[in-house]
Amino acid sequence: MREQEAHGERVHQRVWELLPWYVNGSLAERERERVETHLAACLRCQEEERICRRTAGEVAKGGEVAPAPHPVQLQRMLARIEESEREEKESAGPWRLLAPLRSLVQATPRPLRGALVAQAAVILLLVGFLGWSSLRPTNQTFVTKSDPAPAPVPTVRLRVMFSPRATEKEIRELLQGIRGKITAGPSPSGAYVVEVPAAGDPTDVVLARLRSEPQVVMFAQPAAGGPGEAAQ
Amino acid sequence: MTSTDELTLLRRVATKDRKAFEALYHLYYRRLFGYLLKLTRRVDLVEEVLNDVMLAIWKGAASFDGRSRPSTWIFGIAYHKGLKALARRPAEVDGDAEGGPEPVDRDEPESLAARRELAGVLGRALGSLSPEQRAVVELTYYYGLAYPEIAEIVGCPVNTVKTRMFHARRRLRELLPGMGVSGYAG
Repeated sequence: MREQEAHGERVHQRVWELLPWYVNGSLAERERERVETHLAACLRCQEEERICRRTAGEVAKGGEVAPAPHPVQLQRMLARIEESEREEKESAGPWRLLAPLRSLVQATPRPLRGALVAQAAVILLLVGFLGWSSLRPTNQTFVTKSDPAPAPVPTVRLRVMFSPRATEKEIRELLQGIRGKITAGPSPSGAYVVEVPAAGDPTDVVLARLRSEPQVVMFAQPAAGGPGEAAQ
Repeated sequence: MTSTDELTLLRRVATKDRKAFEALYHLYYRRLFGYLLKLTRRVDLVEEVLNDVMLAIWKGAASFDGRSRPSTWIFGIAYHKGLKALARRPAEVDGDAEGGPEPVDRDEPESLAARRELAGVLGRALGSLSPEQRAVVELTYYYGLAYPEIAEIVGCPVNTVKTRMFHARRRLRELLPGMGVSGYAG
C-alpha cells in the first residue's frame, strides 16, 4: 500500500514539474498523455495548471518591446566586424594563410575532418619539401624584435550627424566614398566621429562631399582640434 | 522565415556573405533585443551585448553543425553573452535599469515601452528572479520552447532546467498578486 502511495507521489512530482511545458504545448506526445491522465484525477495539479496558464498569459502580455534597428546601428556593427577582422589578420601573422583551410575543416562533417586534416598535412609537407629542395636560400634576412613597428595610419577626425531619414545603404556608400569609418558616437546630440585617412583628399573636399548630400548628412564639421587634427 | 531558410542564411554567413549577415541581423535584431532585455533587465547593456552576439555569429557561423535549430544556437550565444555582461558590469547600487546610460535610440517610443515593461508588476516579479531562472521562465512562457531545447540554449542538463523553473514558480507565486494559491501544491 505504502509503495503504491510512494509511486503515486513520484508520478505527481514528475507531472507537476512538467506543467509549464504542458501549458506551452511543447511536450512530446507520450509525456503529454501522461500529464493529461494524471491531471484528470489530481486536484493539486489542476490548480497548478491554472496558475501556470495565468503566469504564461501574464508573461506573454509583456509583449515584444524591441525597437527596429536603426541603419546607423547596422553600420556600426559592420564597422566592428571589419575592425575585428583587421585585428585578427594582424595578430594571426603567417598563420592567416591557413584561415581558408580552417573554414574548410569547420564546414566538413566531423567524421571526415580527420581525413581532411591528414591529407592537408601530407600536401603541406610535400610542398614544403619541394620548396626547400629547389629554393635553398643563399641570403637570409632577419627581423629583430627591436625593429620599429609599422606606424599607424594618420587620420582626420570629423564630427558628423546623419539624417534620421537616411538609410543604412546611403550612409555606407557615402562613407565608402570618403574612405571614412565611424569610430565613436553617438554623442548626446546624436553626432558621430568619422575618421578619414589624412593622406587622402583634403579635409575641405571631404567635408564638401558630405555636405553635398543633405538627405544623408545633417551637418559635418571637423572634430575638436580643427581640420588639421590627426589621430593615430 | 522557416528554420530551413534560416539555416541557408547561416550557411551563407559562414562563407562571409555580408548581404546574408545583414539579412540575419534584421531578422534577429528585435528578437534578440527583446530576449536580452528580458534576460538582463538592463536597457544599457542590451545594444552592446546584441552586437557581441552578432559578431560571434559572424565569426562562428562555420562552426554551427546543424544539430539544433539556428535559433537555438543563436539564443544560446545570447544567453551566455548576456550573463557574461551582467557579471562584467553589475548593476549600480540601486539595482535599477533606469540608472544606466541611455540606449542609442532613446527617443524611440519602443524604448520607453521597454522601460515601462521593466517597471510593471510582472516585470518587478521577474526582476526578483535570478537571470538563470528568468531565462527559463521567459523561454518557456514567452518563446514557447520545450525544456530540452531550453537546456541546449542555457547549456545545462534538463533536470537543472526543471529545478530552475521549480524555484521560479514558487517565487513568482509569492510575488504576483491574484495568482490565488493557498499553498505549495508540489
